[in-house]
Amino acid sequence: MNIQLTHVEKSFGEQLAINDIDFTIQSGEICCLLGPSGSGKTTLIRLMIGALAPDQGTVRVGETKMPSMSMLRQIGFMPQNDGLYEDLSAEANLEFFGSIYKLGKKALEARITEVLALVDLTQDRKKLVRNFSGGMKKRLSLAIAILHKPDVLFLDEPTVGIDPILRRQIWDQFQTIRAEGTTIIVSTHVMDEVLECDRAALIYNGRLIAYDTVQHLLDQTENGRVEELFLIAGEQEVGEHA
Amino acid sequence: MRNLAKRVIFQTLNDKRSVALILIAPLLILTLVYFLLGDSDYVPTVVLDEDAQEQLVEAFEEETLVVKQAAFDDPKTYIEDHEDVDAVFEMTPDGTAITLREPSTKSSKAVREIQDALTTLNPAVEMDTAFVYGEEDQSTFDSFGFVFLSLFSFFFVFILSAMALVKERSGGTLERLLMTPIKRAQVILGYTAGYGVFAIVQSIFIVLYSIYVLGLASIGNMAWVMLTMLLMAGTAVLFGATISVFARSELQVVQMIPFTIIPQVFFSGLIPLDLIPYGLGNLSYVMPIYYGATAIKEVMVYGSGFAGIWIYLLGLIVYAGVLFLLNMRALGKYRGH
Ligand SMILES: Nc1ncnc2c1ncn2[C@@H]1O[C@H](COP(=O)(O)OP(=O)(O)OP(=O)(O)O)[C@@H](O)[C@H]1O
Ligand SMILES: [Mg+2]
Repeated sequence: MNIQLTHVEKSFGEQLAINDIDFTIQSGEICCLLGPSGSGKTTLIRLMIGALAPDQGTVRVGETKMPSMSMLRQIGFMPQNDGLYEDLSAEANLEFFGSIYKLGKKALEARITEVLALVDLTQDRKKLVRNFSGGMKKRLSLAIAILHKPDVLFLDEPTVGIDPILRRQIWDQFQTIRAEGTTIIVSTHVMDEVLECDRAALIYNGRLIAYDTVQHLLDQTENGRVEELFLIAGEQEVGEHA
Repeated sequence: MRNLAKRVIFQTLNDKRSVALILIAPLLILTLVYFLLGDSDYVPTVVLDEDAQEQLVEAFEEETLVVKQAAFDDPKTYIEDHEDVDAVFEMTPDGTAITLREPSTKSSKAVREIQDALTTLNPAVEMDTAFVYGEEDQSTFDSFGFVFLSLFSFFFVFILSAMALVKERSGGTLERLLMTPIKRAQVILGYTAGYGVFAIVQSIFIVLYSIYVLGLASIGNMAWVMLTMLLMAGTAVLFGATISVFARSELQVVQMIPFTIIPQVFFSGLIPLDLIPYGLGNLSYVMPIYYGATAIKEVMVYGSGFAGIWIYLLGLIVYAGVLFLLNMRALGKYRGH
């Protein structure tokens, strides 16, 4: 399912957090939202999943205009802060979220075992989340997001605080999920992760400063580093204000 | 809704402090209140003039008083100088005079005993007191105990639900939950039902404990009291959920207690509402505790049944309904409404 944003704007009070963003995320791709802290990545994701309504413009997932209650079944969302029940076990967290999608008891049990294996938490399924390490929480949070096999998966900084080896494993999982036809939108400020994606949207101060295939973006730079694009954008900004 | 209630129950059970807060804390405080407000066996000390009539001294000694005789010029300075003396009694040319240390329960006890002593000297002024509801010699705990039933069934559930919901808001679980196809009404009702289970256990604990262990008396049927306590607890869950919208952290829930809970304590039946000046008594209508406390008083003190309390229960239900709608609105924010 593709996602179309047409001239989307969102302000918080005086502050324009999303400034006229207009682009389409292709179905079945991994699209990465890249931008410095506070640039508006989380806000953009919230607009796309329908947690926020835009002040201007429209967001469509497939044919459906967001926010939409019926779309929530097809959407998987991994929030930036983990969003887990600390006083429940990993298993109980999954059972609770799973029960909302009404998968049926047997099917849900099987699916829980499957996703726990996928994020390598089978050993810890009975452990209370408050005794989890940061990386374990991230993985459990991912497991919840993919539990109901969503068509579109939104991941807000999924690999923060995760060691390089595990990060590699998690990205391999993203690739597997993508191979099944799921569209993935992942925000990050780690430049290396861009190379894993099909397309990247560069967000700077709430504006979309570039959106292209990763290869095209890298071709524009002098030494193949994505950071340069932001440095150029930064210079333009200074120029505009002068 | 069932799965959400189940989750709330397991979550609370896994957090020992929450369980203690809702089940043990009320009993602990109730016991403390029982001892603080219970009958004390304090014996006040009264000083009579050195050459008081023997008859008078004897009458005084008959009562539960420590009677002393001393020579003094000014009773006030005498009391100031003698820490242990509560009252000085004098015969004056135009009657009698009592000088007391300060307006306190000790002083009122001394006055009561002195009056008894004077009555035995002059039976003609004997006055019999009778109450329609309650008894003369019941302790403060017996008269006000019912207030604590309503207060506790509200307060602890409120704290628990407000804190849990603030945690859900700040921890992102509420946002995540509302990004699933769950209905908003199911979320609110699920919470209310989950904490409702604890409220049922809590009200059973409190009622059994206060009646069988602390000996609190009730004329009416305790089933009505329990029903009222349950409605109170349900309202408390919704009240806590509403307050949690205005708090960013659990600490802020505590900071808001002076605005949310303490004013309600004064309207819970401790002070008769028609004694409150400037029509401030009318404020009670916006306080959920008023409805619960009044219904419980009706049952326990006046022996009312459903006919006597339905209007207050209806008040609670309407109150809960309004809070429910407020919470629906607050949750709508998470879905771009
Ligand atoms: N609910 C809100 N109320 C007010 N301002 C907000 C709110 N949410 C976001 N903002 C503001 O909007 C801007 C973008 O925030 P956002 O969280 O989208 O950034 P981000 O790119 O996700 O940053 P990070 O990488 O640190 O997560 C920030 O300046 C932030 O202060
Ligand atoms: Mg963010």
